[in-house]
Amino acid sequence: MKENLTLIQRLNAHPDSRCWFVGWNPNGTLLASCGGDKAIRIWGREGDSWVCKGVLEDGHQRTVRKLAWSPCGNYLASASFDATTCIWKKKNDDFESLTVLEGHENEVKCVSWAPSGNLLATCSRDKSVWIWEVDEEDDYECVTVLNSHTQDVKHVAWHPTQELLVSASYDNNICIYKEVDDDWECQATLQGHTSTVWNLSFSATGERLASCSDDRTVKIWKEYLAESGQGELIGDISWKCVCTLSGYHGRAVYDVDWCRLTGALATASGDDAVRVFKEESSTDPDQPLFSLAAHMPKAHSQDVNSVAWNPKEAGLLATCSDSGDIAIWRFQEQD
Amino acid sequence: MEEKALEVYDVIRTIRDPEKPNTLEELDVVTEKCVEVQELSHDEYLIIIKFSPTVPHCSLATLIGLCLQVKLQRCLPFKHKLEIYISEGTHSTEEDINKQINDKERVAAAMENPNLRDIVEQCVIEPDD
Amino acid sequence: MASVFSGVLQLTDLDDFITPSQECVKPVKIEKKQGKSVAKIQIEDDGTYVQINPAGQKQKLEKAKITLNDCLACSGCITSAESVLITQQSHEELFKVLRNNKASATEKKVVVVSVSPQSRASLAAFYGLSSSEVGRRLTSFFKGLGVHHVFDTSFSRTFSLLESQREFVERFQRKEQDSRALPMMTSACPGWICYAEKTHGDFILPYISTTRSPQAMMGSLVKGYFAEQQGLSPQQIYHVAVMPCFDKKLEASRPDFYLNKAESREVDCVITSGEVQKMLEEEKVTLNEIEDGPLDTLFSNVKDGEFLSHAGSGSGGYLHHVFTYAARQIFGEETKELTYKILRNKDFQEVTLEKDGAVVLSFASTYGFRNIQNLVQKLKRGKSPYHFVEVMACPSGCLNGGGQLKPSPGQNPKEFLQRVETLYKAEVAQTPEDDARVAELYQSWLRSVGEEHARELLHTNYHAVEKMTNGLTMKW
Repeated sequence: MKENLTLIQRLNAHPDSRCWFVGWNPNGTLLASCGGDKAIRIWGREGDSWVCKGVLEDGHQRTVRKLAWSPCGNYLASASFDATTCIWKKKNDDFESLTVLEGHENEVKCVSWAPSGNLLATCSRDKSVWIWEVDEEDDYECVTVLNSHTQDVKHVAWHPTQELLVSASYDNNICIYKEVDDDWECQATLQGHTSTVWNLSFSATGERLASCSDDRTVKIWKEYLAESGQGELIGDISWKCVCTLSGYHGRAVYDVDWCRLTGALATASGDDAVRVFKEESSTDPDQPLFSLAAHMPKAHSQDVNSVAWNPKEAGLLATCSDSGDIAIWRFQEQD
Repeated sequence: MEEKALEVYDVIRTIRDPEKPNTLEELDVVTEKCVEVQELSHDEYLIIIKFSPTVPHCSLATLIGLCLQVKLQRCLPFKHKLEIYISEGTHSTEEDINKQINDKERVAAAMENPNLRDIVEQCVIEPDD
Repeated sequence: MASVFSGVLQLTDLDDFITPSQECVKPVKIEKKQGKSVAKIQIEDDGTYVQINPAGQKQKLEKAKITLNDCLACSGCITSAESVLITQQSHEELFKVLRNNKASATEKKVVVVSVSPQSRASLAAFYGLSSSEVGRRLTSFFKGLGVHHVFDTSFSRTFSLLESQREFVERFQRKEQDSRALPMMTSACPGWICYAEKTHGDFILPYISTTRSPQAMMGSLVKGYFAEQQGLSPQQIYHVAVMPCFDKKLEASRPDFYLNKAESREVDCVITSGEVQKMLEEEKVTLNEIEDGPLDTLFSNVKDGEFLSHAGSGSGGYLHHVFTYAARQIFGEETKELTYKILRNKDFQEVTLEKDGAVVLSFASTYGFRNIQNLVQKLKRGKSPYHFVEVMACPSGCLNGGGQLKPSPGQNPKEFLQRVETLYKAEVAQTPEDDARVAELYQSWLRSVGEEHARELLHTNYHAVEKMTNGLTMKW
């Protein structure tokens, strides 16, 4: 395979534990990671290498499953198996626990900040998706509780520009929500995956959505205006699967991240590999073609759980694994 | 491969049933034949286990699956990927159970629940011999 | 199968992807028969379990049955309760009782149906009638089927409102000594009660009003006063309530509403407004073609053949009545029109009473899970400013209950709900204190039974459900 994914550094981030998630802050200077050791670690660059800048402990009683940076970069939200979501506020170089959001019945699986920074979404094994509103005094109130999934909800993600929320579930479906009058409603259910949908990622403009699944595929969904007559028509939102990447991954695909700078699609898989897909130029937007641009087998010694493109530095990629490691890669295109 | 399969079987046969005093081997929940090993690469193996819960409505099937997951994760000395299934036709909701016991996130969360963890620890503890 | 319960209850359903029969983890007590030696249990091809004794004889084993009470006492799930309910409380059960009555010459049950005003409004919106018309026509429909009496739960609601008013003033007066006296939260919504008991237990229960819901009040009236008047035992009466919500079936099954001595439930069966529609369809009639029937005025809030209602929300008007009463009793203020201030959303509203520039009464209504959630969290953080909260699990309250009729295909659900609300409000409101017959029952019946028993007839208790900690039965 093409050797265009090179390792910059490997960090033993969560020793003797799993590292579940890595996420860059909005200006790409800090990387946050979390794991089975109940800790959150903040990594920053010093010279040529990445070092641990801080450890956020005592926030959670159980595994920290996912993190979300607020759009302003001053807040970090953490979702935990202890059924709570913690909000941390950046103070100088440190973080302090600001508030704890309670209400989910059991494990919180994901947390995501809306582009405005005023809304926060969480989801849980209790099958529900919650939206919280933040006021000026950093008080959080529940705006809605959505029960559109029939199973464990694995992931929530906001559209990059609109107040549109998507969720992925163990029930194999993806739901899209929008505010109607004074409550939120599920506007469309995307069916197509044949097993748990683990993760979702919008393209830079939000016109397309990538989903990855336990069924070992990645699907690309495209938004159609209702009047175009394509895809399923539910409410005024209509999304259709325009591409399925199958045959590439040997096991479940746990994460997919769509680079907002380059349009490259990176995946993390239970087959220990990291892959990068590029869209073939000049393909039909209704039938796009993606090809494998990089494949790093044994990127980690165990399952790769998360993959994240740096939002400012094109080609800089972070991944993490069940082995507890974080790896920082550079992806370079070769023509 | 057969050697590897026996190695796997040796780990799981002594797991105790969550309810009864017997081991999974004694109850025929697992047998030598229920372990299949495939080579994924030169130093990594795919292990597929198909176990048979004692009765088709056994509510403890997910717990047995959890014990298998946990003990193999801890005790197997070689690199592997693990898939655990209920033998076809032995449980009325086998697809649901298969999905749950192979969801690593659910397994990880279950093991952080003190009540569940206590039971699993009791089941996977090595017998004194 | 999609759940029929309110969203609040669906959320307490911890995690179930295994169908009820396999999923239920409630340990069942089984009578152990003395056995001489070991027996084997074998599963037959059809799935039945048989026991084989050493002599080789087979004996079919009884299936363990989970009752609704078992479900309610268990924090495991709601799903099982749902399937149990469908078999125990349905319009088919009512039909069965009516058929048995016709078939048997001796063992007849007196069948009483108590209809909620919210159900009447829903049927009225669907069939294009007025609420009172529906009340009269339903009476003749039910009587035509063999029902003996048709009552109106707006009548029993008068008791609920009067008791709530008194309870509030009593709580308000001891608020300095008892930190859990206020806010008083309403108790008429069974989804909310079930959620509170299962999720917030001892923390929230002291705040909940002990006053019985209109359905449970009617239970007291029918199986207590009415039975006595008619010289019947409670068991000889089959009492059906027609309600806007499925969760009311759970309420009727609470042990608190079971008459132990008489071995009878105060409400034997709850059917929803939608199930009444189903009954009409099965009988191949619509309400439009049924003639008006004379009303049973014994337990009905009627005047000249027209039904009377209560002021305030479509969920019983608790906030309105308690507010008006408290303003007068505690502060000597007469309030005619209440000003509802919409807060975060239309299902979260506030009413306050100001005196000399200071807020002296602060009331709120919180409907739907999101608002309940914020209320509970605020209370936990000691940030709730309210003295009284009308809590309902359904968004828009009882008129929008899960058991109400669905709009016809093509009909806008919001406009349909609007119509239900208009029809409900079209009935003339009566002040609870002005109901002479209710006052009479307080004077005669409730006084005669003694203070303690009267309290039992008008109030109830709540019980925190312990979280399951047995790993063997825990779902993950």
